[in-house]
Amino acid sequence: MLMPPFVLHNPTTVEEACSIAGSLMEKGEDFDWVAGGTDLLPNYKWHLNPKPHVISLARIEGVNTLSLHEIGCMARLADLTVENGIHPLIVEAASKVASSLIRRNATLGGNLCLDTRCFWYNQGEDWRRSIDWCHKADCGTGADCRVIPNQNTLCVATYQGDIAPTLMVLDADVHLIGPSGLRTMPLQEFYQLDGMKKNVLEKGEFLLKITISEASAARTGSYQKLRVRDTWDFPEAGVAASWISGDATSLKIATTALESIPRCHPDEVAAVLETDWDGMNSVKALAAAVRKSVKPVNNTSLPPRYRKSMVRVLTKRAVEKMLE
Amino acid sequence: MSGGYRQQPGGSGQTTRKDGKRVAGKQSFPPPGSGGSRPHMSPRDLDFIPESVGGKEEQPAGSHIHDRARTGTTVGKEIPLVDSNAKVTGQAWYGDDVRLPNEIIGKILRSPHHYARIKSIDTSRVEALPGVLAVATGEDSPHRFGVLPVTKDEHAMAVEKVRHVGDLVACVAAVDEATALEALNLFDIEWEVLEPVFDPKKGLEDSDEPIHWRGKYHLSKTNVQKRVFQEFGDRSLVDKPHAESHGKWSMAGVHHGFTEPHAVVAHWGPNGRLQLYTPQQVPHYTHRALSTVLDVPMHQINVIRTFVGGGFGGKSDPFPHEMCAAILARKAGRPVRITFDREEVYWINRGRHPSHIEVKMTADEEARISGFDIDALIDGGGFASFGHVTSYYNGVLATAPYELGSFHYTGARVWTNKPASGAMRGHGAVNTRCAVEVGLDEMAETMQVDPIDLRLANLLPPHSRTISGFRITSNGMREALEKVREGSNWDEKFRQLPLGKGIGIGCGFFISGSGLPIHWDPNRFPHATVHIQVDMDGGVTVHTGAADIGQGSTTAVAQVVSEVLALPIEMVHVRSHESDTSPVDLGSYSSRVTFMNANAAIRAALEIREQLLNAAWDILGYHPDNLVLNDRRIYYKHDPAIGVSYLKALHKAQEDKGSLIASGAYRSPPMGGVHKGAAAGLAPAYSFSAYVAEVDVDVETGMIRCTDVWAAHDCGKALNPMAVKGQIIGSCHMGLGQVLSEKMVYGRTGHLQNANLLDYKIPSVHEMPHVEPIIIESCDPEGPFGAKEAGEGPLLPILPAVVNAVYDAIGIRLRDLPLTPDVVFKGIEKTLKDSKIDDPLDLPSPRLTHSSLQPTLVARAQEHKLRDKARQRTEDTSPYVNGVLFGFDPTIPLEDQVEGWRTATEPDPEQLAELGLAGRAWLKKEQREMGGEN
Repeated sequence: MLMPPFVLHNPTTVEEACSIAGSLMEKGEDFDWVAGGTDLLPNYKWHLNPKPHVISLARIEGVNTLSLHEIGCMARLADLTVENGIHPLIVEAASKVASSLIRRNATLGGNLCLDTRCFWYNQGEDWRRSIDWCHKADCGTGADCRVIPNQNTLCVATYQGDIAPTLMVLDADVHLIGPSGLRTMPLQEFYQLDGMKKNVLEKGEFLLKITISEASAARTGSYQKLRVRDTWDFPEAGVAASWISGDATSLKIATTALESIPRCHPDEVAAVLETDWDGMNSVKALAAAVRKSVKPVNNTSLPPRYRKSMVRVLTKRAVEKMLE
Repeated sequence: MSGGYRQQPGGSGQTTRKDGKRVAGKQSFPPPGSGGSRPHMSPRDLDFIPESVGGKEEQPAGSHIHDRARTGTTVGKEIPLVDSNAKVTGQAWYGDDVRLPNEIIGKILRSPHHYARIKSIDTSRVEALPGVLAVATGEDSPHRFGVLPVTKDEHAMAVEKVRHVGDLVACVAAVDEATALEALNLFDIEWEVLEPVFDPKKGLEDSDEPIHWRGKYHLSKTNVQKRVFQEFGDRSLVDKPHAESHGKWSMAGVHHGFTEPHAVVAHWGPNGRLQLYTPQQVPHYTHRALSTVLDVPMHQINVIRTFVGGGFGGKSDPFPHEMCAAILARKAGRPVRITFDREEVYWINRGRHPSHIEVKMTADEEARISGFDIDALIDGGGFASFGHVTSYYNGVLATAPYELGSFHYTGARVWTNKPASGAMRGHGAVNTRCAVEVGLDEMAETMQVDPIDLRLANLLPPHSRTISGFRITSNGMREALEKVREGSNWDEKFRQLPLGKGIGIGCGFFISGSGLPIHWDPNRFPHATVHIQVDMDGGVTVHTGAADIGQGSTTAVAQVVSEVLALPIEMVHVRSHESDTSPVDLGSYSSRVTFMNANAAIRAALEIREQLLNAAWDILGYHPDNLVLNDRRIYYKHDPAIGVSYLKALHKAQEDKGSLIASGAYRSPPMGGVHKGAAAGLAPAYSFSAYVAEVDVDVETGMIRCTDVWAAHDCGKALNPMAVKGQIIGSCHMGLGQVLSEKMVYGRTGHLQNANLLDYKIPSVHEMPHVEPIIIESCDPEGPFGAKEAGEGPLLPILPAVVNAVYDAIGIRLRDLPLTPDVVFKGIEKTLKDSKIDDPLDLPSPRLTHSSLQPTLVARAQEHKLRDKARQRTEDTSPYVNGVLFGFDPTIPLEDQVEGWRTATEPDPEQLAELGLAGRAWLKKEQREMGGEN
């Protein structure tokens, strides 16, 4: 596999990064950000939408902060797997990501901005030519979606990151920076329901860091991941739950790997909480409601029907573990 | 006594001169010195020398023909593989490590269509691209080739039609990879897309455009490549079964998943000879195919086998890309290198066939197995590969280790528009074996007996004949079953574990070397030849064509030579890479290498040994019968002090003729029946194995975790126990992949959806259970020092052991492999629905109360144990054929004793209506019978 050639930019400050992005945009040149490269570079090798320029965040100073309340985009996942002051729920999720080798390169920012995946898309060029391309990498053909044919408006590739749902139930905020400045929003607003757009990042913007408020840091919870092998595999489904211990009304549930975006489930939680919290019965009702609300499609290893069924089990287990 | 010397008992006087050299005859006595660079040799390792020749090693089957060749040097000892240093230090040169000066890069254009006719290929734009040095298409390679002479259906590049996505269409060589890749986009091809076939069941039907055309032998207009019918025994026995099992299986195709992708370098030397570097299991077949395809005599081709980064059967076909590299190199006049991406590896495939298997079996009121009825429809993909053999193996390798009242097999292999299936570790035997062993478990359940006892009471003894006529020699099946029963604490666990925990048994039976050398008459030419050369330095060079694919064949050969000549293994150098210097060897498949090659090596080494002993006779005056070889020294049996160094004897032997040279060969004895297909599955010896697996099943998610495996394998004699254990554990891993997570997924459009190692789920270290390898040594009379295969057989039992353990855990029989969590979950959901249970945690666990048959079986097994022991030790040499258990006389042909006992290779007309899925191929007529092409 030969990586297509690209120009690599190595800014050392956030400002420089933004100005490189700005000037490339002015010239009308397309580019990608790269952090650890464990997602982008394999995709490049497969010729999945490669760009002529790549701006690396690796040499930027001060973007790998690591604390209970703030984690920089370049914090390596390997550092998130040890309890050096960060929230235990993040440690739990990070240690379930891919393999230890990959975690040494992969970063938090990269994981949150992970490209969506689909078995019609994550394939070599010859393979994709044989299916006449797909909507997400149409190579200028305007090809249709292969998962749900006859609709070439929305890409249904699946977001398979592990850390986003845990940050969602911890009420994390993301901080985005670009040529037009810094903006901050809750993580659940960061994602955008389309496998191609994926999130709200504008061209030239990148995810700088996440922050967790004092109150949210007090939450406890659990993350349950469905996968065939205990290493390497992306989640086939993932459920995170958290609460402020003893307060059922603070319960939060988020799921991942079921749709194009990770999602919080406030409505399902609220519906269950309408009646009084009744221990295991409420957990069961909640699990059933969350299961009902997700819509996986057939584009990962395990069939969607099964993944959907497992959401109930995972939710139940996440909440049970949280209650422990 | 001329030239001999006697050493003085030690201690007295000066033993060294002032200059530090030793004084002759003054060495300390025990142990006797080698006389070489090491002053003292180690004493003979009596623990590794058989009792029959004065050592302490017990041989379970009495003496062995090679006992006299044992010196206690290496055989039976745990020796690191001789090529392991090269591998762990990164110095081993694999296919893609070969770099020749001036080389250029070849790339292959692959078909984007499942099935299409090539109307035209225009290469003018490719040729015009700067940097492109050669272009080739199907027109450059009109000659067909294939691994089996009977089914040559491949071309270097597609001629007329492409048969699957990824099939080779054309190739190009350019100065670098980027240029070659760019060139691939410049081919202008006009296609006529044809209607593809993906479902093997559809392949049984007539089609407008069969994927291949076999002329007068073509079966109607179907896509059936091979059909098989075999029936033995008395079919009336199955009419009133006491117990029966009937299972329909669907097994996904799996790939070998070897580490090294295919890679090849071709170079035409200055004299017009081709040198081809390739990681091949069967360099000789490649050699032949190259000669055919390139129209060059074989002596003008030198095939160099590089180190092989895993093969498992996936590198045992001559491959089209090897031909492409040679064609491009010839055109460009420069060396051409082609290395595959992982995707291309999956497209060339040759993995295990996706199969639909149906097994019916019956037992009579004495719990004897009255019949196996097997139907196997296997999906061959676009080409024949080894499929002709696979079609037979799916049936015939189920005829042992049990004694059967009757056996009925129908098999068919069909072409589909998918990458070709072929041979993979446990070739053809794995899927049926799984179905059969699970069937036995089910029958045991019906009869309320212990499945291990059911097996123990129905085993064929050593030195017997299967119902299909295979000659069984050594047989360690019983011991293997007993050992795993004991090791796993079976009697305390089986049907007694809580819900979600289970234990299961599975057995295996596999050939140790195919008895038929495909390309020549086994009665005239040997299967394997080994040359040995010993020069003045005393080092031993062994030339063999055996391809070491990681299984350790080089080590095995080095070990046996070192054993016979009593030399440290470091003094033995194996040369096996080049066809120019290696004697012809068929290659590494059918678990033949250690058995056949080591046998040949022993013969060659014995010849050298004879020359050495004769020289020592000249020097010492004692007849070779009274001489002992030990570490670099030959001495008088009754007084070790009288001896001569190895080097001195060697130099004596070399007088007048120079270096010693010997050639040894192995040829299997004539065996087997004469019916059609009798040669399939025939082997000079068979391996046996029994595994017990313990699993945890998460009843809510369907996730299976195999926690422990007790794995007993009868390898005859472990030449190198470390290597055998490695093979057992590795086999477990590979088999676990097939039973739990690995599958080649073909989506709704017929595309292979997971041609990469992330989505093709090979178990990781986390999924690996604790494996307790148990080596059973039955000492095979034909094997080298008693050894049999250990490379493929150990894979077989893990599948049924896990499937049976899953039943023990959750009480659900699953017959769709792999048992991915969604398959298990579906099974659980269905059971919950059928038995009206809400919570999977309330599922009942299967339990067992023994019926009155149990003591009968135990008694019979006990009786058979004594019978087997007597036969194993050749105390009882009476004939035994399958059928004795049913009361027949083994000395009279069974067909003369039983009306209805038959050996049939074609169905009777009245049987036609009742044949299974694959059997339906027999409803079709061949073209010649239809008045078609002649």
